[in-house]
Amino acid sequence: MNRLLDVENLTLQFDTDEGRITAVDNVSFTLGAGEVMGLVGESGSGKSVTAKSLMKLNPDNAIYGDETKIILHLDGGPVDIMSLHTSSDLKVIRGGAISMIFQEPMASFAPAITIGNQMVEQLQIHTDMTAKKAQELSIEMLARVGISDASTRFKQFAFELSGGMRQRAMIAMALSTKPKLLIADEPTTALDVTIQAQVIDLMKDLVSEFGMGIIFITHDLGVIAQTADSVAVMYLGRLVEQGPVREVIRTPAHPYTKGLIAALPQLDDLDVPLTPIPGDIPSPLERPPGCVFNTRCAVAIEGLCTREIPLFTQVAQKHQVACHLYSEGDDK
Amino acid sequence: MYQFARFALIRALLALFTLTLVSFIVFTLMELVPGDCAERYLAFKNSQGAAISVADIEAERIRLGLDKPYVQRWATWIANAFRGEFGDSCILRVNISQLLGQKFWLSLGICLSALVVAYAIAIPVGIISATSRNPFLNNSLRLVSYLGLALPNFLLALIIMLFSTVVFGDSLTGLFSAEFRDAPWSPERVQDFLSRAWLPVFILGWSATAFAIQTVRALMSDEIGKLYVTAAAARGVSGRRLLLRYPAKHALTPIINSLGFDLNRIFNELPIVALILTLTEAGSLLIEALARSNDQQLAGAIIFMLTASIVAINFITDIALALTDPRIRRSIVG
Repeated sequence: MNRLLDVENLTLQFDTDEGRITAVDNVSFTLGAGEVMGLVGESGSGKSVTAKSLMKLNPDNAIYGDETKIILHLDGGPVDIMSLHTSSDLKVIRGGAISMIFQEPMASFAPAITIGNQMVEQLQIHTDMTAKKAQELSIEMLARVGISDASTRFKQFAFELSGGMRQRAMIAMALSTKPKLLIADEPTTALDVTIQAQVIDLMKDLVSEFGMGIIFITHDLGVIAQTADSVAVMYLGRLVEQGPVREVIRTPAHPYTKGLIAALPQLDDLDVPLTPIPGDIPSPLERPPGCVFNTRCAVAIEGLCTREIPLFTQVAQKHQVACHLYSEGDDK
Repeated sequence: MYQFARFALIRALLALFTLTLVSFIVFTLMELVPGDCAERYLAFKNSQGAAISVADIEAERIRLGLDKPYVQRWATWIANAFRGEFGDSCILRVNISQLLGQKFWLSLGICLSALVVAYAIAIPVGIISATSRNPFLNNSLRLVSYLGLALPNFLLALIIMLFSTVVFGDSLTGLFSAEFRDAPWSPERVQDFLSRAWLPVFILGWSATAFAIQTVRALMSDEIGKLYVTAAAARGVSGRRLLLRYPAKHALTPIINSLGFDLNRIFNELPIVALILTLTEAGSLLIEALARSNDQQLAGAIIFMLTASIVAINFITDIALALTDPRIRRSIVG
């Protein structure tokens, strides 16, 4: 598998009135072309911020760490995203090499511009198509994602479409420029379960057809299990575990991943009580020292987890975990 | 197209209905004032030294048609009002439309100019201040805005008059200088008018601008934070295009909505400013009619005209909203 994306030591802080908040802390991962990576974590774990960093979409008060390296491997050679600063530099990747789908399809379309005009606009920014050609391609894409009567929908506004249809249209728009990387930020969370399944199926089809890499952000491990090849679990701005999706879900190593899986409702045995992870995710203003999960961890090691940040340890082929329980040379 | 015309027609009819309703209220208020036009005129005559009897009052009442039933008199009044005919003033005994005609259009012109000036400044400034992170720019804009909101118009008018009297030896009051006051319209008179009309426009526009900047700024800040703007940026839309086509276009709807409200406010401020600047050509006539001479006919006519202007601008903004915002348009045209 060819390399598509290398993220190394991604650190991102926000300068706010209450001080500097660390949103992403030293995150590294790689993604191959055609690979689907699930990024999992609770709300506030820094998943969306990480994803937006790949296109530098975070607000102006975001400060990237000096060590941060984000390299996107395109046909024309690698692109160092951290070296792109102005919005005209970033144009190449935003909507061109990388597309993003957001959680709320209603809110991510401009309400007073037709869906068609927004699609044509994107195509005209990234290609030298004529307006007519762009329109044809947009209608074709709408039809491709299963929207019936695409040429009518093309002229409509987002508020005139149903939720599932809007997300399909969003996917059509995102894929129209044939991006190498698709970032899907909780694309199914706002949808009904039945529509959710349709959209996931559609995305799986499109991955194999277009062969792009996908970063699929969700808090739903069930969705990840169905769609992703690999999974990265994030907690309070740090990656705590990553590996092949089946391996991680069957034999989770990190106490947090174990907790996430245990918290899933069991449909085959409804008498089993739910086992939530105790406590809440701490405020980013009060990041605990040492392992970020130590405040909620049932198996935290006294005097170690509250002091030292655990490093990644290999527990199986490609399966890594950042937890002192697995660190080599520790006295357990 | 047909549906749009139907919408415009329905809105126009609704506007006329509103106006009729308001006219009824105005007419009723005029009736509630103790005494009527006949009494008032003769009392005025009396104060001038003429001797009058009860029979004179009755005769005058019949002459003015005041003995007819209330609803019938209202119907006649409103029917005439729609044709721009308001009868004679109680006290001045001259035709009201002749008395008001030019004055009304001048007042309306001043108010509309103030509104246009306010938004011509507020829209770009509001957009810049909503997008800028420059603290100096934002703080100075805030200061100017607060000054505009806090400084009463009459005080501003007085300050400017004082200043110009001291510096130029001309208080800049009135809409025309002495030599043109009663002259017929001519290019020179227009020039003279423009050289003086800017002052009331500036004073009325001052607080309106401050208010409008706050409105535009708040609306723009709201829109800029919305997801569709991030989504557009994620598609590669950038720079001015991102700003104008996305948040600015979407902030326009509530801005248009606030126009009618702002014109109303400016109208309300006009009489006081006009009084201080002695703009006898404009709104001060209303205060004159209401407070000094208790001239119901004249006051009623002025209130009717003001209401008609506000109803008209609301009608125009309704149509403009339907044209600019597809959510509203689709709810009409389907």
